[in-house]
Amino acid sequence: MRVRVHFYSYFKDLAGLAEVTETVAPGSRLEALLERLFLRFPRLAAMRKSALVAVGVDYQSGDYILAEGDEVSLFPPVQGG
Amino acid sequence: MRRELTLSEQRIDEQALWRSRAMSAGMGAAVCFVGVVRGTEEGRAISGLEYEAFVPMALRQFHLLFDQAEGRWPLESVRLVHRVGNVGAGEASLWIEVVAPHREEAFAACQFIVTEMKRVVPIWKKAVLIDN
Repeated sequence: MRVRVHFYSYFKDLAGLAEVTETVAPGSRLEALLERLFLRFPRLAAMRKSALVAVGVDYQSGDYILAEGDEVSLFPPVQGG
Repeated sequence: MRRELTLSEQRIDEQALWRSRAMSAGMGAAVCFVGVVRGTEEGRAISGLEYEAFVPMALRQFHLLFDQAEGRWPLESVRLVHRVGNVGAGEASLWIEVVAPHREEAFAACQFIVTEMKRVVPIWKKAVLIDN
């Protein structure tokens, strides 16, 4: 099952790219995908406590069950205004 | 509640926004807040800020905040404009207007939306240093 992951703000610099596609097993939780991403992109791992995570246009917690075609976004604390 | 929400690379035309304000007979308060880009960031002179947004999610999260505000206060309208892209020092980056029957709810709702926006709406900014 393929899931596309987008990085925003300085997370793009930490990851070295703006998006990546990961293959995960059906029924995988979001937290498992994040752990894999933190292993793959060690500079992102330092931000894991403050990182915000969304699927589509809504925030999701680690126990969210990923579905085929999900678009996951990972980004630092927001700073609008 | 009437809503107008805009994310734009264009300058915010405050005069036009004021001229287009609409209030029904029962409304007695229009609170407007304008966020302006400072000319310094952490003590260093900057020429402006570069705003980046995850636009579809930003729009969604703004509307969720409007839903919450509408549930808490008897608002007639919320209009909000947020800049994206390059915003020069001294320019408005955020304009919001809340119309309600009385000032208490208009101030409270405006404060709520701006405060929560800075917590949940995926917009980021990066200073553009003058000596860059």
